[in-house]
Amino acid sequence: MKRFLPVDELARDERFVRTSIVAGFNDPRNGRATERAISSARLEPGRAAAPDRARALMHGIFVGEIQALEGAGRTTFDFDDADAPFALKLDMARQCWDEARHVEISVKLGEHMGTEIGEYTESTFLYEAACVPDPAMRLSGVNRALEGLAIDVFNTMKEFGDASGDPVLHFCEDWMLADEVTHVKMGSDWLRRLTEQDPDRRARALEFQRTVDKLFSLGGFRGETEENPVQIARRFRELAGFDTDEIDEIAALAAEALADARSREAVAG
Amino acid sequence: MSNDGRSPRPAFAPWDRRELPGLFSVEESARRVGAYSWVEQRLFEALGGWIATVPELDVKLVLGRHCYHHAWHAEQFQARLPELREMNPARCTVPANDGVAALLEAVIEPEATEHTIEKLTGVFRVLLPRKIAAYTYHLNATSSITDAPTQRSLRFILQDEFEDWREGEMLLQSLITTPEAAARAAARAAELEALAVAAGGIAGPGTLGASPTPEVTP
Repeated sequence: MKRFLPVDELARDERFVRTSIVAGFNDPRNGRATERAISSARLEPGRAAAPDRARALMHGIFVGEIQALEGAGRTTFDFDDADAPFALKLDMARQCWDEARHVEISVKLGEHMGTEIGEYTESTFLYEAACVPDPAMRLSGVNRALEGLAIDVFNTMKEFGDASGDPVLHFCEDWMLADEVTHVKMGSDWLRRLTEQDPDRRARALEFQRTVDKLFSLGGFRGETEENPVQIARRFRELAGFDTDEIDEIAALAAEALADARSREAVAG
Repeated sequence: MSNDGRSPRPAFAPWDRRELPGLFSVEESARRVGAYSWVEQRLFEALGGWIATVPELDVKLVLGRHCYHHAWHAEQFQARLPELREMNPARCTVPANDGVAALLEAVIEPEATEHTIEKLTGVFRVLLPRKIAAYTYHLNATSSITDAPTQRSLRFILQDEFEDWREGEMLLQSLITTPEAAARAAARAAELEALAVAAGGIAGPGTLGASPTPEVTP
C-alpha cells in the first residue's frame, strides 16, 4: 500500500455522489445569503425549511465523519516514526475509533430524521485537508479547524434537538460533542509539540487553519449572528482549549466569508 | 480453624496453583514483547491506511475500531518493556527476523478497492490466528508469578483478539459468496501462511516452543 492516498482514490459504494467544493462554492443558491437579512437563518424548528435543512446537515455530518475517519487512519500510516511519533499515531488510532462511532451514530440519526445515505452529495474537502503532506498541517486543518467546526455544528444540532423536542438528537449530539472537544485538544497539544522548535512551521500550520476556517464558513454557514445557520459554540471551544482571541478570529473570518458571499451575489445580480 | 487473624495461613491458598519459575527469562520475555509490539504497530498502521481504500461501509467502520485495538495493544507492550529492563523500548520493538518483516509487508501490500477479501484474509485468517497462538503460548509458558504483569496485559489483549477475529471472520464469510471469491481467499491465505511458516511465527522460531535464547526451566 502506498503512502498518501489521493482524494480521487477514496473508496465508496454506489450510493455516494461526489461533488467538488468549487461547485458547491459557486452554487448560485448560495446567494440566498442576501435574503437572510430579512429573517433569522438559524436552525429553528419554527422555520418551514428546518427539517430539510437539518436532514441535509446530518448527511453532511455523516460524510464528514467518514472522511475524518479516513484522514485519521491515513495519518497512522502515511508517516514514519520520525515525522509522526508512536504516541501521535496512537491518538490518531483512537480518533479512528471515535470517528467510526460518529459514522454509526450519524447513519442511525439520519434514518431517525428521515434521510438516507446518498440523498445528498458528498464534497471531499475534509479529506483533502486531512491528507496534506505535513502532519502539523493535518493537525491544524483537521483537528483544530474542522473538528472545531464540528463542535459548532454538533452544539447547533443539539440545541435544535432540544428546541424541537427530539431527545434522541440531543442525546447523540451531546456525546459526539464530548469527543470533538477531545479531538481539538489533542490537535492543539500535538501541534504545539511538533512545532516546538520550528516557529515557521507552526506559522504555516496556523495559516492553513485560518484558510480552512474561512472556507468552512462559506456563504455565512457559520457565525454568531441570526444570519448564520450554525452558531459558534464559544463555551465548548473554550473547553477544547481555544482562547478568546482565537475564537474572536474565527468569528471575524466567518463574518468575512458572509461578506464575500454577498459581494459575489451583488456581482452576479 | 480459627479466624482471629493471628493463626498462620499459607501464602498460597490451596486453590492457587501458580508456580515458579516459568520458561522465559527477563530477556526472552522482553524480546517477545518487543516483537509483538512491532507486529501490533505495523498492523494498526495498515488498518488505518486501509480505511480509505475499502468501499464497503461496514468494513470501513470495523477497520476504524480495530485500528485502535491494535494501537492499544502496542501501547500495552511498549509500557511493559522498561519493566523488563529494556529502557529503550524502540531498540526492542523490531521484527523477530526478516521473515516476520516479509510477512507483515505482504499482509499490508493490497491497496486496490476491489481487494477487500485479500486485505481481510491476511489479517483475520492468517495474522490474528498467529497472534492468538503466540500470545496464548506466552501466557501459558511464562511464570504466572514473576511475569504476571505481562500475563495480565496478554489476557486483555487476547480478549480483543478473539472478538476481533470473530468479527473479521464474519465479515469475510459475508463477502465470500462465490467459488471464485473462496478461491481468492484460500490462495491469499496459503501465500501468507507460507511466509508465516518461513518466519517461524510472529516471534520467530520458537514462537510456540523452544526459544533460540537460553530459558529458565523448573
